[in-house]
Amino acid sequence: MEVSMDPLFLAWSYFRRRKLQQCSDICSKILHDNPYDQDSSLCVSEAVWSLKTRALTEMVYIDEIEVDQEGIAEMMLDESSIAQVARPGTSLRLPGTSQGGGPTPAVRPMTQSGRPITGFVRPSTQSGRPGTMEQAIKTPRTSSTARPVTSASGRFIRLGTASMLTNPDGPFINLSRINLAKYSQKPNLSRALFEYIFHHENDVKNALDLAAQATEHAQFKDWWWKVQLGKCYYRLSLYREAEKQFRSALNHQEVVDTYLYLAKVYQRLDQPITALNLFKQGLDHFPGEVTLLTGIARIHEEMNNISSATEYYKDVLKQDNTHVEAIACIGSNHFYTDQPEIALRFYRRLLQMGVYNCQLYNNLGLCCFYAQQYDMTLSSFERALALVDNDEEQADVWYNIGHVAVGVGDLTLAYQCFKLALAFNNDHAEAYNNLAVLELRKGRVEQSKAFLQTAASLAPHMYEPHFNLSILSEKIGDLQSSYTAAQKSEDAFPEHVDTQQLLKQLRQHFAAL
Amino acid sequence: MSESSCDGGRWLDAHYDPVAGLYTFSSCVDLADLSGDGESRLLVGDLGSGSSGMKLKVFRGTALLSESTLLDLPTGLVAFFMDLHEPRIPAVAVASGPCVYVYKNLRPYFKFTLPGLEVNTLEQDVWQQAREGHIDPVTLKEMLEGVREKADVPLSVRSLRFLSLETSDMDEFVQLHKQQPIRRQTVITCIGTLKKSTADEDGVSCLVIGTESSDVYVLDPEAFIILSKMSLPAPPTMMDVTGQFDVEFRVTVACRNGNIYILRRDSDKPKYCVELSSHPVGLVRVGKSVVVGCTDESLQGFTQKGKRLWRTILPAPITTMAAMDLPTRGFQAVLVGLANCDVQLYRDKNLLSTIKTPDVVTSICFGRYGREDGTLIMTTKGGGMMVKILKRTATFDDRDSAPGPPLAQGVRLNVPKKTKLYVDQTLRERENGVAMHRAFQMDLSRMRLAAAKAYVKALESSLAPVSSSLSEPLKMNAVVQGLGPSFKLTLNVQNTAACRPVMNLAVSFLYDESLYRMRNPYMRIPLLVPGLVYPVETFVECTSDKGISDIIKVFVLHEGKSRPLLTAHINMPVSEGLTLH
Repeated sequence: MEVSMDPLFLAWSYFRRRKLQQCSDICSKILHDNPYDQDSSLCVSEAVWSLKTRALTEMVYIDEIEVDQEGIAEMMLDESSIAQVARPGTSLRLPGTSQGGGPTPAVRPMTQSGRPITGFVRPSTQSGRPGTMEQAIKTPRTSSTARPVTSASGRFIRLGTASMLTNPDGPFINLSRINLAKYSQKPNLSRALFEYIFHHENDVKNALDLAAQATEHAQFKDWWWKVQLGKCYYRLSLYREAEKQFRSALNHQEVVDTYLYLAKVYQRLDQPITALNLFKQGLDHFPGEVTLLTGIARIHEEMNNISSATEYYKDVLKQDNTHVEAIACIGSNHFYTDQPEIALRFYRRLLQMGVYNCQLYNNLGLCCFYAQQYDMTLSSFERALALVDNDEEQADVWYNIGHVAVGVGDLTLAYQCFKLALAFNNDHAEAYNNLAVLELRKGRVEQSKAFLQTAASLAPHMYEPHFNLSILSEKIGDLQSSYTAAQKSEDAFPEHVDTQQLLKQLRQHFAAL
Repeated sequence: MSESSCDGGRWLDAHYDPVAGLYTFSSCVDLADLSGDGESRLLVGDLGSGSSGMKLKVFRGTALLSESTLLDLPTGLVAFFMDLHEPRIPAVAVASGPCVYVYKNLRPYFKFTLPGLEVNTLEQDVWQQAREGHIDPVTLKEMLEGVREKADVPLSVRSLRFLSLETSDMDEFVQLHKQQPIRRQTVITCIGTLKKSTADEDGVSCLVIGTESSDVYVLDPEAFIILSKMSLPAPPTMMDVTGQFDVEFRVTVACRNGNIYILRRDSDKPKYCVELSSHPVGLVRVGKSVVVGCTDESLQGFTQKGKRLWRTILPAPITTMAAMDLPTRGFQAVLVGLANCDVQLYRDKNLLSTIKTPDVVTSICFGRYGREDGTLIMTTKGGGMMVKILKRTATFDDRDSAPGPPLAQGVRLNVPKKTKLYVDQTLRERENGVAMHRAFQMDLSRMRLAAAKAYVKALESSLAPVSSSLSEPLKMNAVVQGLGPSFKLTLNVQNTAACRPVMNLAVSFLYDESLYRMRNPYMRIPLLVPGLVYPVETFVECTSDKGISDIIKVFVLHEGKSRPLLTAHINMPVSEGLTLH
């Protein structure tokens, strides 16, 4: 005769092995056999109920600290910003000039918001804040780079609906009929229930109710509930209330997570300096904490202070020498400060750690080329081409091969590569710009002009197409267009010396009798 | 006090009224002791709104003392002594339109009108016939047009106005005006004063007037008759006069053709001419040299004979210029108002100091105001008035305030150091140079092949959004706007040929019909003129609520050919809203 294991223990075991679906199935079966309301086995069924709640939560759990993207509504309809023109160095909204003496946009490309591109793609640094509503709506919001309308709707609703699909009979817990007051009295159940409501059902209002009642039950002494309250307020965009809760939670208990949440609140309130101070305060209590150091580095990076960001990334590596983000960011910084051989070291380190993707080979190829290790350049690109996942990546690889081709003087190959980049990604403004320069060399002015105009409309933040268009117009004698294009170039990159000279020359031309 | 501190504390801020409502230029501002009590008043010819509200305003201290309405826009204002009566009270001359209005004790005293110009005799005959009723307005128009084309003497204002009328209004105009004789009148462009016979401070002065008809007149101060007439090759815009009429004088005139002419007593034609490289915007005489500001943001110094002494570049365009003359200290310099809200003080080509102002300055006047000798009065573009007093302890160094070698010389270039790693790698290159070169060349050939293959594939299936074929060189880019479920799709199609239009094109889409619905999946494109961008718009509706997105392919087709000319792939954004049912 087969000896069967106690089903509850089996479910617990499944849960620990992260076989969550099986765990949830067994729990459902136990609950079906002895419904929850019967008093006889109250203790057991409570445990089963709690386990199933946790299993369901774990299925859709996302790290609240990392996943955070400002939606269009939060950026454009921001009510909490007070000073429209903040002093440079005190705001994340104002990209400003580079303070840390980092490379100029002529060397290191810019994102749309006027920040140098980073070595590591994160939700908040992906494309920065657009200047106008139209720009926000027009930016290619494809599935890979989508920006949600609001953080409350976009990503979270999608997660909520995904979990609905897994339960065809309806939700496990019917929130409208649940007595929150009763559960808030039971500390062993209430936390699991809260996480279920917050993460699985994504019903922030009910979660807030439960948290408020539970924290009252705990006589406002439980830091955990205060953090949860803060999370709810943060989700509802009530940043000042969230700040109060997190601050109060920190008074009870110093936890790294709380510092991170609070710093997120300050970044949302556009107070990067306060966030930096908070991180440093956190570091006093938790010296060498990697997440806090990374947070500081990210803020410096967002504020265009690349050199101090690099310092903090180096500190991160001293604590954790497998931190991918830190390695990638330091590597890209070395690449753009004319030390590709050191960047190559960092990227090779990533390769040793098992990161094996198209982007990495792409970077390796470029580093090899600029560090004059020619024998490995093109083989890296070949591997990158073999590893591409989607058309955008393919376009980027072809674009970089085009650069190598320009470097070795093979303009036919370069022309083909840029064309291919465009075929795979129709919005590749850089490829349009470079193609225009090649067309101009061939003497096809009309085509070149059309490409430059397209590049300028696709990426108004880049100064190159404006500047090239200005030079082209000046050569063919259209001084007025040349002047307007030069002015746009000046807006995009005020320190560009060639633009300044061109403008000066044009002004002299206009003033001359 | 921040303004004065950046100037080394040389000026005291006496008064600033940002809403004084003064709209004027340097030529219409003067200082004079109008009551003979030793206290100078400020005279301002206010341009009002440009069409109404022109006024002659007199300020005493910070208060407006009196104002009287002017009939037309003032072009210049000067205070001058016209007689030898005691107490010595100057008269005020305001040039406006073709007249000079002279005020004494702030009351209208005399009006001098410029003599009429010679009238075309043919024109006179034609109007004579019209008056007698020999010709109708249409014939009159034809004849006047004939006269305008042939004659040396230009037509009068009346005839020009008549020629610009509609046929229906002509009759009325002729009836209204035919009785009056024809006159040709010119207007005053600038005004100045010239001492009659003595160089004294309170000596009797003549008025010097420049007119639109390119003449310069010198008027007798008592009888207001023309003492002398000189003619120029172009209408004057700014003028500076020095010397005495009875002894020797010199009139420096900046003209509208960009030249500066210097007139002397003995000849009625210009003696010297300076050809500038761009238009002059300010003319100031300092001692024996003339300082001219030009539109190319430069300041130039000339001798009395028109020889250029120096040229210096300014940081911004010039708005106005004035002389700063402090005879008690023997200090003479030029004040230059700039469009970047600075007022700079130059002695020769040396920048002595800079005053920051809260607004762009449009007029500057320096002199004795009230009982204070060194007073600087400025009005701003926004209608504000500013009064600053030069401190008695203020000194100006005679050298440039930005001396020494250029700043760029001191900046160190940020050249990164070559690392040890780099040196090691160069060693590797040196040892394995041949092998590396071979590997690279082989890789390059393979890469060329791979690129060519991919390129041919892209060309064959017309994947690229750019076509460079000789018959239809086209370019397309697509923009998606909207949050969903409705999106607006804009295709910008452009013909990049040099001069040939492209016809018979159509657009078609390929998409997953279970996900998207398109309002018109097939569209015809009109004839494409080279160089213009043609936006083709359509609407796409996302019918799925699963939060997924797909690619929509756009093809540009030529009628009668199955192969597309262009293809664009649009990565549709995820639909944020849900369709309403």
